[in-house]
Amino acid sequence: MFRFVTRYIGFLKSVPTLGWLFDGLLKLWAFFTQPALLDWMDEIETEVLKWKRTTSTIHKYGGMQFNYNSKEIGHIHSNGLLDMLLNRSVKAQLMLDGRISDHHTFKNTGWISFYIHSAEDKDYALALLELGYKRLAIKLPD
Amino acid sequence: MLKKNLLADIKAYGISNLFAVGVIAFDKYVIVDSHVNVGGIFVFSEFIIVPMLMGIISAWFWRNAGLTSRELTGKSFINGIITIALASIFLGEGSICLIIVSPLLFGSIISGALIGRAMFRRNNNTLNTSIVGLMLVVFVADSLSEHHYENMVSDTIIVNATPQQVWKNVVAFKRIKEKNKYWLFKIGMPSPVESTVEGYYLGAKRKCIFSNGYTFDEKIVTYDENKNLTFAITNQPRDPEIMGHIDIEQGQFLLKDNGNGTTTLIGNSWYKLYVFPTWYYDTWAQSITRNVHLRVMEHIKELSETK
Repeated sequence: MFRFVTRYIGFLKSVPTLGWLFDGLLKLWAFFTQPALLDWMDEIETEVLKWKRTTSTIHKYGGMQFNYNSKEIGHIHSNGLLDMLLNRSVKAQLMLDGRISDHHTFKNTGWISFYIHSAEDKDYALALLELGYKRLAIKLPD
Repeated sequence: MLKKNLLADIKAYGISNLFAVGVIAFDKYVIVDSHVNVGGIFVFSEFIIVPMLMGIISAWFWRNAGLTSRELTGKSFINGIITIALASIFLGEGSICLIIVSPLLFGSIISGALIGRAMFRRNNNTLNTSIVGLMLVVFVADSLSEHHYENMVSDTIIVNATPQQVWKNVVAFKRIKEKNKYWLFKIGMPSPVESTVEGYYLGAKRKCIFSNGYTFDEKIVTYDENKNLTFAITNQPRDPEIMGHIDIEQGQFLLKDNGNGTTTLIGNSWYKLYVFPTWYYDTWAQSITRNVHLRVMEHIKELSETK
């Protein structure tokens, strides 16, 4: 469903509030089909916010966005899809493990996508976000 | 603690729904009715901005409750159910309409609650006022804008019969006994079952009868035998499912002789929508119109092909 929407009517995301509305529906779907996902997302948020200079905001197209010094580390849509930017060499290494994939829209960039389906995936998502955090912390020191 | 949480829930549901009722009433009777040609229209903001503001209002009352995302989503879902129940009671909306509108309401209320939670966590009053203020500006601007939308849906099937054989079944047809295939018809949306006509001539009155007994009164405005039957809708039923939401203006059947004993039958319908945003409601309107066409046209095909 998410792939269908992003591929065929993804252009509608530029309509103000539409991305948020779609993300609200994803959240409702998760509430009925995989409520634990909502708890894992909360746990990720709690953990990331323990790191220095991090904040969480609502992503412009819906979902929870994590920032370091106001710069985006990554965001999680309410279907458990983590999108984030890594440097290309790290991405290439991680792609070999087969757990992450190219970003669902931005192919051939440092952007990656990772679906959270289990508690184990939640830990892996946190590890990925930590990589993104460290990348930004080096790039934008205090 | 339990009592405090219950009180917060009652306030969240009560005040947010009261806000929605107030804003929609203000929009209907003060803003929209004083503006030219837009009376009775439900605008984009009423289905998206208002529910989002409802979510933000409810998040204000839950700001100290420490709700998890699961709890916030569940409570927002209950809030949406209350809104739908109120729309059914006070706006007299039909059940199919409520099914159609519910994804917009639930999605907007839940996202509003999430936005609200993020806003009140940061506790930045200037930012929070700006967000709510911006939403209200969009609401007023949208309500004051002129809304006009018309569309036409066209469908085509091939009938294995000559135009002469098809024509008599196009002008009027006996009761459709075939079971409904379209999911909205299956769950109770009225579907076309019969068409009657007072005569085979220009100006004749025609009736399209639906499964719940409602009737569309029509008048033949083009009678080009074996080629073109166009009828204007002179009166449509006061069914809460369509009343004030859509006007079917004209219908048409075009017959094209394929020269091999078959006929291309084209069904066209023109309608005017009074609910916005059209990217959402017109998708439904097209789907429903298409399935009305296909139900009638497949019946005409069956009648015409029966020897």
